[in-house]
Amino acid sequence: MSVDKLAYYPGCPSEATAIEQHMSTEAVFEKLGVELVEVEDWNCCGAAEVEDPRVVYALNARNLAIAEKEDLDIVTPCSICYYNLERSNRALKADEALRTKLKGIDSSLDYNGTIKTKHVLDVFVNDIGLDEISSKLEKKVNVKVAPYYGCYIGRPPETAFDDPDNPVLMDKLIELIGGEIVPNFNYMKTVCCGGPLMMTRGDIAFDMARKILDVAKNAGADCISLACPLCGMMLDGKQADIEKALDVTIGMPVVYITQLLGLALGIEPNKLGLNKNAVDTKEILGKVV
Amino acid sequence: MPIKTWELDPNFKNEIMSEAGGERLASCFQCSTCTLGCPITEFVPGYNPRKIIQMSLLGMREEVLSNPDLWVCLICQTCTARCPQDVRIADVLGALRRIAEREEEAGNLKIDSPRPLFDKAFQHQLKKFGRLYDMGLAMEYYPKKEGSFIKGMLAMMKDYKDFGMRMFLKGKMGPLGGGSPVKGMLASKIKQKDVMKKIFEELGEEGKEK
Amino acid sequence: MGIAIIGGGVAGITAALDLADSGYKVHLIEKNAELGGKMGELAECQMGLSPYIAKVENHPNIDLMLSSELERLSGTAGDFKLSVSGNEIGVESVVLAPGYDIPEVAKSYGFGSPDVVVSLDFEGILKAATVSETGELVRPSDGKRVKRLGFIKCVGSRCQENEICSTACCAYTAKEAWEVKERYPDVEIYIFYMDIRVFGKDEELVAELKDKYGVKYIRSRVPEVIPEGGALTVKFENLEKGTIEKLELDMVVLAVGLLPSKTMGKLAEITGVKTDTYGYIETSLTSPLETSVPGILACGTATAPMKVRESVAQASGAALKAAGLSQRTEPIPGQEEHKFIEVGDELKTGVFICGCEGEVANTVDIPAVAERINELKDVAYVNSETSTLKEAMDAIESGIVDQRLNRIVFAGQSPRECEDMVRDACAGAGLNPYLLEMVNLREQCAWVQDPKDATEAAVDMLKMAAERAKYLEEIPVERYPVIPKALVIGGGISGMNAALGIADAGYEVHLVEKGAELGGGLKKTTELQGPGGEQAADVLKELVDKVTANERINVHTKVKEEEIVGRAGSFKAKIVAEGSAEDAEIEFGACVIATGARRDFVPEGYFGYGKEKNVTTVSEFGKMLAGKLDANTIALIQDVPGEGVTARYSSIEVVDSALKAKEKNPDANVFVLYQDIKTYGKWEVLYKDAREKGVIFLRYDKEKPPKYEDGIVSVYDVIFNDEIQIKPDLVVLSTPTMPAEENERLSKMFMIPLKKGFFMEKPERPKMVLTPVDTVNEGVFICGSAVYPAMIDECLAMSSAAASRACVLLAKDFLETPAMTSVVDEEICAGCGVCEAICPVEAIELTEEPVPVVTFGVTTVVGGTKKVAKTGDGCIGCGSCASYCPSGAMSLRNFRDRQVYAQLDFAV
Ligand SMILES: Cc1cc2nc3c(=O)[nH]c(=O)nc-3n(C[C@H](O)[C@H](O)[C@H](O)COP(=O)(O)OP(=O)(O)OC[C@H]3O[C@@H](n4cnc5c(N)ncnc54)[C@H](O)[C@@H]3O)c2cc1C
Ligand code: SF4
Ligand code: SF4
Ligand code: SF4
Ligand code: SF4
Repeated sequence: MSVDKLAYYPGCPSEATAIEQHMSTEAVFEKLGVELVEVEDWNCCGAAEVEDPRVVYALNARNLAIAEKEDLDIVTPCSICYYNLERSNRALKADEALRTKLKGIDSSLDYNGTIKTKHVLDVFVNDIGLDEISSKLEKKVNVKVAPYYGCYIGRPPETAFDDPDNPVLMDKLIELIGGEIVPNFNYMKTVCCGGPLMMTRGDIAFDMARKILDVAKNAGADCISLACPLCGMMLDGKQADIEKALDVTIGMPVVYITQLLGLALGIEPNKLGLNKNAVDTKEILGKVV
Repeated sequence: MPIKTWELDPNFKNEIMSEAGGERLASCFQCSTCTLGCPITEFVPGYNPRKIIQMSLLGMREEVLSNPDLWVCLICQTCTARCPQDVRIADVLGALRRIAEREEEAGNLKIDSPRPLFDKAFQHQLKKFGRLYDMGLAMEYYPKKEGSFIKGMLAMMKDYKDFGMRMFLKGKMGPLGGGSPVKGMLASKIKQKDVMKKIFEELGEEGKEK
Repeated sequence: MGIAIIGGGVAGITAALDLADSGYKVHLIEKNAELGGKMGELAECQMGLSPYIAKVENHPNIDLMLSSELERLSGTAGDFKLSVSGNEIGVESVVLAPGYDIPEVAKSYGFGSPDVVVSLDFEGILKAATVSETGELVRPSDGKRVKRLGFIKCVGSRCQENEICSTACCAYTAKEAWEVKERYPDVEIYIFYMDIRVFGKDEELVAELKDKYGVKYIRSRVPEVIPEGGALTVKFENLEKGTIEKLELDMVVLAVGLLPSKTMGKLAEITGVKTDTYGYIETSLTSPLETSVPGILACGTATAPMKVRESVAQASGAALKAAGLSQRTEPIPGQEEHKFIEVGDELKTGVFICGCEGEVANTVDIPAVAERINELKDVAYVNSETSTLKEAMDAIESGIVDQRLNRIVFAGQSPRECEDMVRDACAGAGLNPYLLEMVNLREQCAWVQDPKDATEAAVDMLKMAAERAKYLEEIPVERYPVIPKALVIGGGISGMNAALGIADAGYEVHLVEKGAELGGGLKKTTELQGPGGEQAADVLKELVDKVTANERINVHTKVKEEEIVGRAGSFKAKIVAEGSAEDAEIEFGACVIATGARRDFVPEGYFGYGKEKNVTTVSEFGKMLAGKLDANTIALIQDVPGEGVTARYSSIEVVDSALKAKEKNPDANVFVLYQDIKTYGKWEVLYKDAREKGVIFLRYDKEKPPKYEDGIVSVYDVIFNDEIQIKPDLVVLSTPTMPAEENERLSKMFMIPLKKGFFMEKPERPKMVLTPVDTVNEGVFICGSAVYPAMIDECLAMSSAAASRACVLLAKDFLETPAMTSVVDEEICAGCGVCEAICPVEAIELTEEPVPVVTFGVTTVVGGTKKVAKTGDGCIGCGSCASYCPSGAMSLRNFRDRQVYAQLDFAV
């Protein structure tokens, strides 16, 4: 194992809608023996709503600088945060003039470009490694999973860390913990959940999320697994609203990959926030042996 | 009506290409890859990033900037990831949106979408608190979207009634939820809020206007 | 010493044979255990290539090094030391032909579905379908019949990972679609494309696919294939309706592009040759075969993506250049004077049955067959011990010498692969080579018969052959000396380059040019295309100087050649000077036709050309670009109709001019109106540059061409689906290219067919593809724009190839008169008509023949008719039909064989 300590960037949803992702991430890393040091006084990464790249770079420079002071690489469980952190990191590393300019705006933006940014999935599979994780597994999570990756894991190419069309990192973890990947879901793995349009074109967002839920259901999944809180809000948080608005019943449990992994590591469900997912997760708990 | 190129703005493509994200516009060879992979096309008939690009290249400035389709892009990056010519369509559309917002601010254009209002409210919250404050964002956005405070509150209630309660019950929002008793109800503020202000003032649209 | 060739694909094989046939020692190094490269995997091509492979395997001058790789190279031109899988060899020059590999494809194409296949695998599936029990084309996933088939083009080409166009895939996709349609007419075919980059006969094939076969060409670069509910779904843009449509398909073929061979990096490191940005061996427009290291030549898909034809032309050209650096050390096979034994009246037939490395022996019980044949009255000797062609030929030789056999029956692989070699073996041992009878035991028995019937079938075939052998008669073999001189017709860049090539190889050349000076079409060009910015005049001057300074080249200007008589190796012609009563007679052994093409089509009346002052042509525009350009809005119109064909350079020239205009005047609005942008290969980056510099491209349909009226160009852009109007200061027309006027006359004189006035071939078939500069008239070669108007790198490669082929012939001291013509085995003939289409002199006709069903004594009950091919008197024995007939019903025989066949047919 090549990591034992990382700076942790939880992202805004960690405090509210995706609190269970935050809880399970912390619990899993603890169990795996990797210390997470929360980036002190971290600020929002800009999400998708700040469109001007220069503002995004500045916002993230601050978070990067804080982690850099501790000399730690940053890990985040949120795909959008990862995208913003990583593209800022790249831009800042490559562009000295930009770094100087930001430093001029405020000394807290003084980042030297010495650390790496990572998504939790990447850390699990590529840094900690499947063998290491496997050695710590205590239970078998015998569920049929539709692994849903969303947008920013395989896209855009320069920040991606998995295949753009058929990513596999989550699949590997699921198979490792005894789960089964449902067939006929591959082509939905990276189709956008509609989240970015939730507030402005809720109708489209609902249709898009529903499609993912439907394909997972038709594929025979017990649950969908995720690696991004925005996807979580759409597929889990809004699922009941979707059912109501589109007059359908779905009832598809949606969990974060960290929650599934936590179960396999023998962590107690409530510590993983499994009581906080909007769609009930009891059936899944029943399949942990 | 035929398109008369001499009445168009041949400089429009250069304008886009000098905006961050728009640099690679001219490489496009109209192959349709972006459009055919775009998930929005299934829900918004006629949505066609390829066409927006050719219109931009031809210089159809007005038609492009007032096109409501600019505002339904998910920024999902599928088009960017697949574009054989590295046009970075998601970023190009972002550049177009920013030009359109500026034009609206200058009073030259009316944008037919609440999205700029939402983005602005988001940025405003961010500037104020340093983190996303769902409740504050909603309180700022809905009235603007609906045109009055009362209408806004009503619309917000409608959208949030069930969802809010669900989140509340799960302890994700509300007085006793989450890690702290007031999570989600009050803004979670960072200490160095002044830095946020500086960033937006120096680099954001406000900075540009200065 | 000799020459080392790296890569045993079609390019390496061609170079090896050209060199070995003219007496050079060749070391052919191939990393795989088999020769053939990628072409060996192509369904249709394999068949055409196998005779060449057999020839390489048995060539005395070729040292074949299979499963070998180059490890080290040191020394310089004229003295290289190579270490090849542990063996040390010394050579004077090296030819690199490591070929290509195909790219990985995005997972979005099928998300793992086995019904989405890359084209190279599809070739295999097609091949397998033909020989499968049902003969049906089925889906790999569930064996269901394919009813709807899609092709997606440009996969892995013209994209970020591989910027350039792969050149071959547009054409091979058309070919694959055609093959499917021919065999499975009810399969619906959809081809998704961006531009259709085909020329000449491929252009016709595409038109035929659309019009006759109902293949749908749809413009969309399809990015994903979704496996849903047992079918594959693709989405495409219906540009006319402005909608996105879904289509369900059973199977999808990805027309993948070509990438430099994976071994290229290592090879470049070892040899020191430079590679370009894309990883191909770096060559240039004006020296397409030379690498950055003197003495190391390159050819084929290792230099750029291209088709077999172009690869072969480059290979022959590279062989010539390599030969120029080497000494000839080996005898040329088949040149020895033979004294044939007296045959007399006594019949001594020897039968040789070869196991073909198990290919025959595993199916046919050879010892049993041998025993049965041994019992035949007239058979004096049977040998069934051999298992390779080489062993069989040795056995035949000793059989003739030791046993004094005077009729030989050889049963083994297809005669198309080995007949020439076995005849040479007979002749070498002193038996008249026409006393040989061939039996195709491998293709026509072992591969097609049920194992339980195969042995019996083999016995029957051999009995028949032994019977026929009785009727064989000696044919006197006449030898005549080769005149070691060449005639080159046309003093353009191709003609001059061919002349120099032949002269440098040591032969005298007559170069005739009808104009007053050398230079040809290139004289009218100013700056050459591409980043080099070379001036055409400089390139020409260098060549003209070399030609005039060369003592072996006699330049005749203002003359034309007449009254050509003779045959390969020994021609005679009159050359008549313009306005002079005297004419000179010249003799030569080989002739190269390089008459080029004309750009004289005047688009009078098109877009107001001739009336409006601001309407011009691309060539004129090229000259304007050399001066000051003050037009602010320029519309370049590609594919203006007219007389002639679309040159391979036509798009390149238009895009290049547009780019230059933009560079000259960055504020100008430059529009290109096109049907297909055909910037093939590395020229694709020119297209990209033009777009990035701001040139606007508008695509129009042939049916709705642009108009220029009242100062306004109106064009219906079919992608934009709207009419777009431009007010240009300048309209530039790109017009078709016309054939040289001379071609008509030369075609008659040399009996070489023309198509649209050019020496391009009929439908592309392996034999022709593999001999791109040869003609049906042996000893006469074609090259350059006379074949099809091409870029100068292609003209240079092709003219070097023509020179190489001419030199192979001139290197011989003697030639023998051929006495061959084709015969049809009516019983096997399937009536497919391929031979009819391919015969260059239209000597084959398809006729309806009655089919006998049952025979009672002397009465035959006729059960309907079937189509069969009939060879007429016009046959010139070129062998095209024999090498392509899919049923193996066509073969070349000496004239008397034909009578023998007739007699036998009569007798049966
Ligand atoms: C699906 C498909 C269909 C096609 N169909 C057609 C068609 O119908 N008509 C047509 O004209 N063209 C067609 N082409 C193109 C055609 O295949 C090529 O033009 C042709 O095969 C190129 O021959 P080559 O000898 O240059 O390369 P290759 O065939 O690739 O041969 C190169 C050889 O070199 C060997 N080699 C590589 N590196 C080394 C090394 N370091 N040392 C020793 N040996 C080495 C390789 O093993 C190989 O045997 C098609 C291509 C594809 C992909
Ligand atoms: S994918 Fe790229 S090149 Fe193709 S149409 Fe879209 S932007 Fe243009
Ligand atoms: S980023 Fe926007 S335009 Fe591109 S595929 Fe996603 S939704 Fe479509
Ligand atoms: S355009 Fe070029 S890369 Fe695309 S299919 Fe045709 S030949 Fe291949
Ligand atoms: S061998 Fe004779 S019949 Fe066959 S193609 Fe050649 S000329 Fe025609």
